[in-house]
Amino acid sequence: MTTIRRFCCNDLLRFASVNLDHLTETFNMSFYMTYLARWPDYFHVADAPGNRVMGYIMGKVEGQGESWHGHVTAVTVDPEYRRQQLAKKLMNLLEDISDKIDKAYFVDLFVRASNTPAIKMYEKLDYVVYRRVLRYYSGEEDGLDMRKALSRDVEKKSIIPLKRPITPDELEYD
Amino acid sequence: MASKFGLAGGIPERRVRPIWDAVDSRQFKNALKLSTALLSKYPSSPYALALKALILERMGKNDEALGVCLNAKEILCTNDSNVFVDDLTLSTLQIVFQRLDHLDMATSCYEHACTKCPNNLELMMGLFNCYVREYSFVKQQQIAIKMYKTAGEERFLLWAVCSIQLQVCCGNGGEKLFQLAEGLLKKHIASHGLHEPEALSVYISLLEEQNKYNDALEILSGNLGSLMMIEGDKLRLKGRLLAREGDFATAADVFQSVLELCPDDWECFLQYIGSLLEDDSILVKDNGPVHTTKSIDCKNLHMSGELFDSRMSRAVNFIQKLMEACSNSERGPYLALLEIERRKLLFQKGDSDKLLQGLIQYFIRFGHLACFASDVEEFLQVLDSNKKSEFLRKLVKENETTTIVPAKALGQSITVFKVQNLIGNLISLPVDELENMAVQMTQMFYNNLPLSKDLDAQESMYGEELLPMACNILVQLFWRTRDLGYLVEAIMVLEFGLAIRRYVFQYKILLVHLYSYWNSLPLAYERYKSLDVKNILLETVSHHILPQMLASPLWPDLNILLSDYLRFMDDHFRESADLTFLAYRHRNYSKAIEFVQFKERLQRSSQYLMAKIELPILQIKQNSNNIDEEESTLESLRYGTHFIDLSNEIGSKSLTFNEDFNLRPWWTPTYDKNYLLGPFGGPSYCPRENMHNLIKQTEVDAVKKIEKRSLLPRMIYLSIYSASVSVNIEANGSAVDPKLPLELKILLERYARILDFPFRDAVELVFGVSSGQKSLEVPSMDIIDWTNFVVFLNAWNLNSHEIGRGDSGRSTWNLANTFLRKYVEEMIKSAGPVVSSPGNDLSFLVQLVTEPLAWHALILQSCVRSLHPSAKKKKKGGSVEQSNSQLLNEIQISIQSLRDMIEVVTKWLKDQLQKPHDEKFETLYSLVQRDNTCDGPGKVFKILRSSTSAMKDAEVGDRILEALHSWDPADVARKIVVGQDALLLEFLKICESTIKSLQALRIQL
Repeated sequence: MTTIRRFCCNDLLRFASVNLDHLTETFNMSFYMTYLARWPDYFHVADAPGNRVMGYIMGKVEGQGESWHGHVTAVTVDPEYRRQQLAKKLMNLLEDISDKIDKAYFVDLFVRASNTPAIKMYEKLDYVVYRRVLRYYSGEEDGLDMRKALSRDVEKKSIIPLKRPITPDELEYD
Repeated sequence: MASKFGLAGGIPERRVRPIWDAVDSRQFKNALKLSTALLSKYPSSPYALALKALILERMGKNDEALGVCLNAKEILCTNDSNVFVDDLTLSTLQIVFQRLDHLDMATSCYEHACTKCPNNLELMMGLFNCYVREYSFVKQQQIAIKMYKTAGEERFLLWAVCSIQLQVCCGNGGEKLFQLAEGLLKKHIASHGLHEPEALSVYISLLEEQNKYNDALEILSGNLGSLMMIEGDKLRLKGRLLAREGDFATAADVFQSVLELCPDDWECFLQYIGSLLEDDSILVKDNGPVHTTKSIDCKNLHMSGELFDSRMSRAVNFIQKLMEACSNSERGPYLALLEIERRKLLFQKGDSDKLLQGLIQYFIRFGHLACFASDVEEFLQVLDSNKKSEFLRKLVKENETTTIVPAKALGQSITVFKVQNLIGNLISLPVDELENMAVQMTQMFYNNLPLSKDLDAQESMYGEELLPMACNILVQLFWRTRDLGYLVEAIMVLEFGLAIRRYVFQYKILLVHLYSYWNSLPLAYERYKSLDVKNILLETVSHHILPQMLASPLWPDLNILLSDYLRFMDDHFRESADLTFLAYRHRNYSKAIEFVQFKERLQRSSQYLMAKIELPILQIKQNSNNIDEEESTLESLRYGTHFIDLSNEIGSKSLTFNEDFNLRPWWTPTYDKNYLLGPFGGPSYCPRENMHNLIKQTEVDAVKKIEKRSLLPRMIYLSIYSASVSVNIEANGSAVDPKLPLELKILLERYARILDFPFRDAVELVFGVSSGQKSLEVPSMDIIDWTNFVVFLNAWNLNSHEIGRGDSGRSTWNLANTFLRKYVEEMIKSAGPVVSSPGNDLSFLVQLVTEPLAWHALILQSCVRSLHPSAKKKKKGGSVEQSNSQLLNEIQISIQSLRDMIEVVTKWLKDQLQKPHDEKFETLYSLVQRDNTCDGPGKVFKILRSSTSAMKDAEVGDRILEALHSWDPADVARKIVVGQDALLLEFLKICESTIKSLQALRIQL
């Protein structure tokens, strides 16, 4: 019982119960609105009946040549609606758009190296750790760059793990 | 930034690059030096000037920056063909003008440039952006059309179309403008086609706005339809258009195919069933406030019983097929069957047993999920109380008989508790049963801790919801019995939960409200801060703490709260237009419109307007002991005139209410309602059904409050003025501006009107109340308004002498003294010790002292200052002295009276504070440490206290065990007391400083 639709500004006024969760960052307005203005197809919300927000995903598409890819910036689910595979549905949607509409080569995301539950979940969704980014989070904690190849990357080249970790300034994109 | 010829603003790039680098590395002094050098070489280059202005502005030299900008503008706006005009120069200037709040000047530079260099697309885009920033939709449209004509690009046409749509939805444009937009698009499509999916969406929405559903359908099924690449989205749109056109049969088929693609899409199911029942209420676009819920009631169906039956059985057949096809984890089809049964009941063709059966089946399948109760809430509402009880009985039985894995069993048990709460039977349970339930919940949480043994500290634990549920019951027990022990237990349960997992925001929110209620506001604020409320959450979540803080003596914290919130909102308003332009640039036209609408929604936010008036009121309160500082504060607030404008407009503005009340506890569903302040409401009390009306009332009251509060700064200024001129009108011969006393009278009349009284009646009432002949039957917070009225009335009368003229013998001085005294004394008399009197009127007393009483002190200061302007002035004789001596007497009495009042408050505060901490702690802590054989609170607490000794490492793991050991209930009780004392101390400081100022005033006389 889920309605997944494009995220709109008014949803910013409805997502308090999702964002008060300590692992969900509440970004500044220009961050959300830049995503909405540039990649509205990558920003979706799941509604429950009674108009409650179950969760949402925000992301973008970027890169050049064979690194043209979808990126998951945030995916989050309200505690009341967890353990129902909603995150999976939202991720699949973003993958689908990256794959079919934007013809991207892969989808990637960053996760705190200590966030074992999330890493496990992404692994279940066929993401692999592509590389480690040293001190990616506020100069302290390492981040893991996880990837999933899409149909355009026939040989799955995009997900061959890098042997050495990289530093944040070596990242191609913010 | 550089142009392709290596020129930047007409200057070789190599010369300007060092300046850019210096600015980028924030070396502004160096940048300024370089820019001065550049200007000596290019003295009349607008770009060199713009750079200098930019640097000056970054250095905070705004006046100089503006001067340089204006200089550049002047050069740019000459008709000299040698002046180099490009977008880099203009956009640099634009940035500075915008930061200096002179958007219009940037616009006029671009306008001039576009006239000078017609057909320059880059400049025209810059001008379009200027109009976007100014929200000049008509001008946006005109320049977009010009760009479209120049370049022939689809995107510019769409910019124009959006600008037209904005004129209708956010401006003064009539709906006829849609025809114009449609015509423009049609013409373009005929010659060039359409190439962007967003352009198609705009076109279709334009047709929808005009109810041209058939036209929209035709387009969608034609070649252009292929622009929409997601099949499900296309079908949803098609279904909606068909239904709105009235072709429900085809619409139902279309929605059916969407459901085959997405069986869990609830909105689509509602649209499907709406189409079958030929009811399009679900299809109206919902832009309402956050808390509206879509609910379909089947009341207006025009359909025969037979047809209804056949449509419903079609739906049932379809959903059953869907169930067979999809996985078990999707709730959609199962809930769809329940919805069909609900509709049947609403149409008087249903069978409640069938719905009940369906609900049990749903429980068997999904009962362990945390969302079960909210999923079924709407279905339960159509059952009568007997059926509801039957459902609960069956649920309990089902829960007892099924054997499933422990985590699921726990989930189901929690669901049973939630349903019990949902159907409202908790309120009718006897106290001991209710207490037993809280014990069960706490015990259940504790017993199931081993399930969370291997979870990460950041992950939600199993059974986490049990603790707030137990807390809610304990608060209800407190409400029913007034036994404070339950309230302590309610707090302990949550603090215990936080000791085990410190991230749970639901616990923190409940604690914010419990600590606020118990006058431990600093502690409440600490809990609130740990929620990390920021950015847009400031708009939706601040209501948990802001109203309490507004009526508190915690001024520095309140200042931070209000300033942070206003900064966030104002920053958004400043940057919103640039983001709108970003949406235009990236061809996401619908988002451009949405951004403008959203900005308007936030601008009309009631909380925003409230904060805009409360921050200056706070400043006025903080300076009330020093009239000179107060006057400069008032001067910086333009003597309150701006707020009068706000108050005047408020009635005509439709305000928005963006607070998210869903997370508020049951006992305070809105910020102006707290059931605990009144007696137990009994079984008839039913908050869920009341919620909608409560929110509506809160909204009406909020508008009134903003209107009223906005008058205060001006009334304070006019009162000070009136007091001052009443003394030296004749003394120094200076003329009184007759408009000002008149204005005060008008405002008093208006203030009385907001309090629902004509002025004269209000005056009669306050005199009646002060003489004890009448009483004010209003909530305590309204008494603050009445006291304000009395204080300002006296200030006005000092000058007009309208009251007490002749032989009525009425003195408004006396009125103010008695009125203020009456309520201070009443409050002190009724107030018990803070530690054992949660919910007492302390905040009322704080407001009384820091507002009306402070305004009255200001009026006295103004009189005294005018009586003794300076030692040098000669004393005047005669009648002036005589009239002033009478006034002097009144002033002396009033100062003394005010001082006495505050002394009473101070004494009360000191009495509270003098009691030893340990004694207060004992009072509080002993409430839950009772003998177990006794009835009453203590049982839940016993579970919490014994938890550390009973649990073993192997069962719960190191992390949880360590947390259990760190749990210190005595510390919780101690912190409550410390918080209460900190609040009292802050209040005491304010009172003492007022006493000091009154003493000084008396010495001056």
